[in-house]
Amino acid sequence: MQGLAATKRIFILAAVAFLAYAPMAAFAGDTYVGFVQKMGDQALTELTGENISAGERENRVRKLLNKNFDIKTIGQFVLGRHWRTATEKQRAEYLDLFEDMIVSTYAQRFDEYAGQQFKATGSNPASSKSKDYVVQSTVLQKDGPPVKVEWRVRNFGSTPKVIDVLIENVSMSVTQRADFDAVINSGGGKVEALLESLRKRQKPKKK
Amino acid sequence: MSQTLSGTFIQKFMMIGLCSVLLLGLSGCATAKNDFRTQAQINDPLEPFNRGVFAFNNSLDRFLIEPVARIYNAMFPDFFRDGVQNFMRNLRAPLIVGNNVLQGDFKGAGVATARFAINTTAGIGGLIDVAAAQGLEYQPEDFGQTLAVWGLGDGFYLVLPVLGPTTLRDGTGAAIDAFADPVRLYAFNRDEDWIYYTRGLIEGIDNRAHIVRAVEDLRRNSLDYYATVRSAYAQKRRALIRDENPDKPPMATEQYSAYDYYDAGWE
Repeated sequence: MQGLAATKRIFILAAVAFLAYAPMAAFAGDTYVGFVQKMGDQALTELTGENISAGERENRVRKLLNKNFDIKTIGQFVLGRHWRTATEKQRAEYLDLFEDMIVSTYAQRFDEYAGQQFKATGSNPASSKSKDYVVQSTVLQKDGPPVKVEWRVRNFGSTPKVIDVLIENVSMSVTQRADFDAVINSGGGKVEALLESLRKRQKPKKK
Repeated sequence: MSQTLSGTFIQKFMMIGLCSVLLLGLSGCATAKNDFRTQAQINDPLEPFNRGVFAFNNSLDRFLIEPVARIYNAMFPDFFRDGVQNFMRNLRAPLIVGNNVLQGDFKGAGVATARFAINTTAGIGGLIDVAAAQGLEYQPEDFGQTLAVWGLGDGFYLVLPVLGPTTLRDGTGAAIDAFADPVRLYAFNRDEDWIYYTRGLIEGIDNRAHIVRAVEDLRRNSLDYYATVRSAYAQKRRALIRDENPDKPPMATEQYSAYDYYDAGWE
């Protein structure tokens, strides 16, 4: 009897351990690689067609961006220490302008991406302290050497989202952060200075 | 160029000694571990001067260097440009081996030595990178990286006319690399200095031609291009110093540490 109880207990323990572990395992490395590959494939098929108007391309970029990237996390990181001094209103406007900037930049860029191939190759934990993963990928260009692109992915609830892109070891978030910081510092440390530059940058495109 | 061998050696040692003293003096103010702002950015006390030189370089690039790089890309097919790059990289192999040894990276030294042997022979004088196909990847090393591995900080950011962004440490390293460069020694000993300068020119065009699109992106996406390039330069150098391995000490996880602080409610 006692032997049976012990076996049963071990079985239950194993089942609990498995159930507890399963959701975590589901989001480990391989899932993220699949997530990034799918996103890349979708971007290349939806955005590189020749018969898309500029406006339609921007719409599609925005949709893909909001689906796969966490703009708030990225935007907050990029604003860095200035996020604290910004008012709620400034934060909201900043996140809108930041999103617009990314959308217009990459809508233009995808115009030239036709004929490229994208391959997510593997992943590893971002660091020993972090729950984030880094997915490695290679972009094969029509002309020129392959480009190494890494995606930092974080799990939001049960949805993985990209929070940084590193091209040849240069983080877009860290670089943009240095850029914005310089604009704010030369504007007397005011977030308003950055908002003004971002507004100016977007205006000619919106007409 | 009729220096005696011993003369060159004494000069070299004096120069290394001088630079080391200079650098050690300055590295005290270098990096505090795990503080994102000191790690991902470079100290830039000469910013007004640097911005001036940067503006000059930027104009020079737009009106001369970038057009030349674009013409070079358009005129020559892929395999030709690859050949040029492979050849230039192969000429750097002795310096890479030397710096690997100085860094105590004997595996890296072995890879670089094998690459040099294979590519110089099977790769027809270095024109074809056959070693990379065997898993022996190109990994650049220079004396600036060696000094960093020895524990020296950046010193400060420096934009040199024409040559572009560097730091006190990396610029000093580049000067010492140039000094020890077998191609330079060969050319200067034969009074054929043009070989060395021509090599430098081709290397410059080749490097610039490879980053035409990246530079265009940086220019287009930045509000303050100077600050953007400074950050990108810092990140590139950090990655090279760690040999692109984020877990490698002493620079472990620095690039992402900001996000980790962020998790802990740092901002």
